[in-house]
Amino acid sequence: MRRAELLERYRALPMPTTTDESWRFTDLKGFDPDAFVQNGHAPGPGPRTMLEIDVAGLATVDGGGLEIERAPEGIRFELLDESHPQLGELVAADEKFAAQNAAQWEHGLLVHVPKGVVLEQPLYVRVANPPDGEALFWRLLVVAEPGSRFSLIEDLSAPDPELAGYSNAVVELFVGQDARVEYVSLQNLARETWHFASHRARVGRDAELDWVAGGFGSKKGKIRIENDLAGQGATSRVTGAYFADGDQHLDYDTLQEHQAPNTTSDFAFKGALRDEATAVWRGMIRVEPDAQKTNAYQENRNLLLSPKAHADSIPGLEIQANDVRCTHGATVSQVDREQLFYAMARGLTQSDAERLILRGFFQDVLDRIELEPVREALGEALEARIPQG
Amino acid sequence: MALLELNDLRVSLEDGTEIVKGVDLDVSPGEIHALMGPNGSGKSSLAYALMGHPAYEITGGEALFDGQDVSEMGADKRAQAGLFLAFQYPHAIPGVTVTSFLRSAINAIRKARAGGEDDPVPIPEFRKELLEAMEHLKIPRELAQRYLNDGFSGGEKKRVEILQMAMLKPRIAVLDETDSGLDIDALRIVANGVRELVGPETGALVITHYQRILNHIKPDFVHVFVDGRIVEEGGPELAHKLEEEGYEAFLPEGAEA
Repeated sequence: MRRAELLERYRALPMPTTTDESWRFTDLKGFDPDAFVQNGHAPGPGPRTMLEIDVAGLATVDGGGLEIERAPEGIRFELLDESHPQLGELVAADEKFAAQNAAQWEHGLLVHVPKGVVLEQPLYVRVANPPDGEALFWRLLVVAEPGSRFSLIEDLSAPDPELAGYSNAVVELFVGQDARVEYVSLQNLARETWHFASHRARVGRDAELDWVAGGFGSKKGKIRIENDLAGQGATSRVTGAYFADGDQHLDYDTLQEHQAPNTTSDFAFKGALRDEATAVWRGMIRVEPDAQKTNAYQENRNLLLSPKAHADSIPGLEIQANDVRCTHGATVSQVDREQLFYAMARGLTQSDAERLILRGFFQDVLDRIELEPVREALGEALEARIPQG
Repeated sequence: MALLELNDLRVSLEDGTEIVKGVDLDVSPGEIHALMGPNGSGKSSLAYALMGHPAYEITGGEALFDGQDVSEMGADKRAQAGLFLAFQYPHAIPGVTVTSFLRSAINAIRKARAGGEDDPVPIPEFRKELLEAMEHLKIPRELAQRYLNDGFSGGEKKRVEILQMAMLKPRIAVLDETDSGLDIDALRIVANGVRELVGPETGALVITHYQRILNHIKPDFVHVFVDGRIVEEGGPELAHKLEEEGYEAFLPEGAEA
């Protein structure tokens, strides 16, 4: 589809409102996606990295464009061409923000790892927060050919936590037969920046996708994380950890779509909320008629650190096959006063005690993360959100 | 002046119910005191109030630790000053190992004592001391890597309380019904742990319903606690008398022990 048509489609789609079921808890009042200068030509401030890690490939994206700082040999790690045949195959322009991205993205990255290629070190792309009043449409396309193995880290970060921009991301991941891909998406945008993202992966036969989503920044928006278990024996594991405070609002919308038999999906999200922050997590496991022997799991647990923090957790199942195993769990709990007292009675200050309980709460999801620098950075980022008492 | 000094101490619950109704008690290093009383007499409330649990408010009299009024100190400050409570029902902290919890606690206390400067315990020193203490208390090594009190048996929890006491080396340890739910071997180990801690630097207040732990600990002083008050005081012989005769003689008329 041509850009003009996509733009028309974007314009024709109404702004979501809280009367739409999937937007019930995310009110976009006061947000006008057309009020931001799109792809402003002034380069945005360089992103501050959350990770210290040795990488095989490094790219940086900001309002001025995409810069490939280092690319490993034997793979394609390059500017994404808008005529790429697989573009839009997984994330269609049938939703307001995905449509806007499709119509307006300029700087995208293609990661294409050929058959059987194994990268020891991760690929790393840093995406800058758009400057005040500007929008950044970020587009990532990942093709993992059969038998390839690699890790890719996407790090959206802000040098200034007060930037009021608009970030819109679309990520498509094709994981070929027997491939093993680790995808880490860290969202550490400015707390006055709106952020909308649609990520969708298609996991092929006997392939494995291991996905980590860290959510710390942004003002409000929605992040969609969708996986198609498309080939027999495919596995996807998604681990989410998020923290919001002040008046931040995080919204995760996840889909585990089992299309082929003997597929496994395992989604575990944990979040902590402080002050008046809110979060909504919506999970859907869909099992198609052919997807017998599906094993699907989804979990969302929230820890509230302040009386005014609030979380909504909405698990869902749509099962059309009869020989499946699907389990889900959702909880929202307050920090336990007795736990806090117990730790303080051993000499820990209240903020140290909270930090310890918080770290304990997240420990099992952190333990799922294979890349040690990512695991440590996430643990530290979570603890850093409890103010020093 | 005693290290822990209670003068006409009164404690109320959040709903205003008075539960400790004027207690005078002095505990000094080198001394073991037993506070014995029937269920519901307010013994545990006294322990919680001393440690600073937010649900128990000191409403009258005073509790002084090293001359300082504890009501002006949070639970963390009291612990840092050297007060310790072995909980009757220790809380679980999932995701935090016994080792990591203990190291955090020791470092918090060291930091407070170093005037707010970080002064972390060297890890080899900490490990050595922890392993020795665990062996001494017959706590299996694997427990150190398990999450604190998460899925522990009653006996494991109580031993880990004593382990924490041994590692934190308090100046006054309050033990709230540490004997309940322990078999005789565990009781002996726990009692030894208390006895070994008490010395020139440390005193203990052992709160219990039963006399049996006192066979192993040998208190210097026994206080009988009924309905929020100390109603009788004496030496170790008082504990034996209670064991034989029960609390009936001390109860208000018509009440049951």
